[in-house]
Amino acid sequence: MSYAEPSRKRRWLAGLAALVVAALAAVELFFPASPVGEIVAIIDANYVRSVLRLTVPIAFAALGGIFAEKSGVINIGLEGLLIISAFTSIAVAGVISGGTPSQFQLWIGFWVAVLASVLFALLFAVICIEFKADQIIAGLAVWLIALGLAPFASKVIWGQVNSPPVATLNNFDLLVVEANPPVVMMLISVPAAWYALNRTSFGRWIEASGENPKALDTVGVDVRKVRYAGVLLSGFFSGLGGAGLALGRVGQFIGGGATMVNGRGWIGITAYLFGNYNPLGAFGASFLFASLDALQIRLQQLGYNIPSELIGIIPYVTVVVVLAFVGHTRIPAAAGDHYESGEE
Amino acid sequence: MSDGGPGPDRDGEQADPNPDDSWQVRADRALSRLVDASAAERVLISLAALALSVVVGALVILVSGWVATCDSPFFSASGVGSFCYDPVSVYYVLFKGAVWPAYNVAITLKETTLLLFTGLSVAVAFRAGMFNIGTQGQLVLGALGTALAVLWVAPVVPAGIVGGLILIAVGLLVGALVGGLWGAIPGALKAYADANEVITTIMLNFVASGIAFTLVSEVFKDPESQTVQTRAIPEFAKLQPVFFDTTVFSMLALAGALALGGAIYWMLNGTSFGYDLRTSGVQPEAAEYGGVDSERMVVSSMALSGALGGLGGAVYVLMVASRWRTGIPALGFDGITVSILAGNNPLGVVPAALLFGALKTGSLAIEFQLAVPKQLVGVLRGLIILFIAMPEFFRMVGARFRFGDDEPAVATDGAGETTTGSDADDRGGDDE
Repeated sequence: MSYAEPSRKRRWLAGLAALVVAALAAVELFFPASPVGEIVAIIDANYVRSVLRLTVPIAFAALGGIFAEKSGVINIGLEGLLIISAFTSIAVAGVISGGTPSQFQLWIGFWVAVLASVLFALLFAVICIEFKADQIIAGLAVWLIALGLAPFASKVIWGQVNSPPVATLNNFDLLVVEANPPVVMMLISVPAAWYALNRTSFGRWIEASGENPKALDTVGVDVRKVRYAGVLLSGFFSGLGGAGLALGRVGQFIGGGATMVNGRGWIGITAYLFGNYNPLGAFGASFLFASLDALQIRLQQLGYNIPSELIGIIPYVTVVVVLAFVGHTRIPAAAGDHYESGEE
Repeated sequence: MSDGGPGPDRDGEQADPNPDDSWQVRADRALSRLVDASAAERVLISLAALALSVVVGALVILVSGWVATCDSPFFSASGVGSFCYDPVSVYYVLFKGAVWPAYNVAITLKETTLLLFTGLSVAVAFRAGMFNIGTQGQLVLGALGTALAVLWVAPVVPAGIVGGLILIAVGLLVGALVGGLWGAIPGALKAYADANEVITTIMLNFVASGIAFTLVSEVFKDPESQTVQTRAIPEFAKLQPVFFDTTVFSMLALAGALALGGAIYWMLNGTSFGYDLRTSGVQPEAAEYGGVDSERMVVSSMALSGALGGLGGAVYVLMVASRWRTGIPALGFDGITVSILAGNNPLGVVPAALLFGALKTGSLAIEFQLAVPKQLVGVLRGLIILFIAMPEFFRMVGARFRFGDDEPAVATDGAGETTTGSDADDRGGDDE
């Protein structure tokens, strides 16, 4: 497997991205209209903490996408899975508590949301694997269904597309830092996913299922089962991401327009393409996109005389630019194709 | 076209594994498989998908009615709970609301007109082998271009019919131009950098609405308005109603949209450009052997698709809103469903747009009369796409139960012609 060419390009691009971030920081540093103190405050521990929280939905979507696509099923419905789990987490926590959920009820909402996302992913898997649906169109449908269903259900439950605010998950003390639970889960999941993909036989099956399903079949592993596992994992991770976004950071479901998820699932797809299907690389890319997001939020809070809507497009423009550089990724050889075992 | 499909397609499959294959090549191949299905089968699949969406939609209505609380549930039983919404009456009101009272016919046709543009936009890109999810952004920017151009030219033309015609022509032209340029961006990114157009077009939707909002709020805002919107275009620049006495629908626009659908159909099927476009969509390699510059074809078909979306924005301004304003409805996303439901056939877009126009109008009635959220149509939109994505499901059902005369016809048709043939080819490729 010769990754030399793309990886050099990628390294170069990562360097460029770092330069851009540095340049942005420098521009901000010399921004005339602001007291220096405010500017220095942009990049500090607080900033990193907020970036990490913004990374949660992107990185989890990316991790999920890696497992699905490596196993041979391209799941572009990640955005929809994030929307479903964000909505479910708030709805369940709100409904079982009658309005002001306790921490315990928030956690119930969290895990029910993960379950909902997994069930949605199961539906997607059945459609793609059993009924041989076109994966791209089916993924699109998952997104559009979520985009319609979540505001619809919000109106049924709350009478409007936004939920009333609820509490967020409490931080807990981890050694010396105050840790946000979804962030901790993410920081555990990323290396765990890397380990699973690169050091376990399950990881080799996933790889083979996407690269050479016939070989996997020959050694007696059921390709269908491996692909189901890959897609269900994408549902599981996206569920953590969506519920983590809603209960770990925002504390509300916002269903207007593109919903509170606001394209983060799509950014997650770009992140894993950028990271070349490596969980560590995908996390790095997610962190980069999230830091741009955090930067624009911070700039808005500081009240610069730049229209917030214009700053708001920075992450999306970056995604387009990154895709223009790494668009030509080498995807698993059998991804997108149906596989039928010869024994049937 | 459908006859020539499977052979080269199979070759494409077996040429693998090609280490340089991108995401895109595979998506294209998957697309071509869809395009291969025969026309009659496509119509049946669309109808079956519609029927199944209605059934699943009814379940969604039942469950949401069970969750919702209301004074007078239509059905309740101890141990089960009470159901607020009756699916039958919801569908009844949905369709009655689309045509009754007469004013609603005008609203339905207004939606139909706009959906014709966005549906055609998606269909053209689809036929060229690309998903244009960015019709929404192309429409938003096209609408802004139209509003600004008309406001800019209006002072120098005489008020009245002549001035109106000039302004409308300018507005349509600028809308198409802006939408086309915006659509050409993801086309160029795909052609020259191999960037996946599904993601770039979605990202560019966010960028388009951010740019449009900023331009209007900072530069072109109506000074007398609290909300972010441009000044209104002059009354004589609006597309005039002909049959219906309304300010939001013009028969002229509908006639123009229908003519455009016919023109696109002719372009795809009667011109060499259309032939090249379709060939690039089904079999890019073959098109290139045939002398098509595939990069240029990608850019120009995306530009054409964007121009159609931009025209939709122009008509939105000239017929409905009289200005650019925030909260432009999600016509671009509905256009995806319209196009997929129509099998990406420009003529099929007409009934699909009419159906969706009716659904959107009727959804206001169900919210108003039955308190069922109008977002139900958004759910149906996704369900329809989902079911159309799985033709194999209907083939399996048809093969297993053989109910009616129609369903077995699907199976035999497929076996005799292209579809099952190409499936068999897939299988052969995999088993090798």
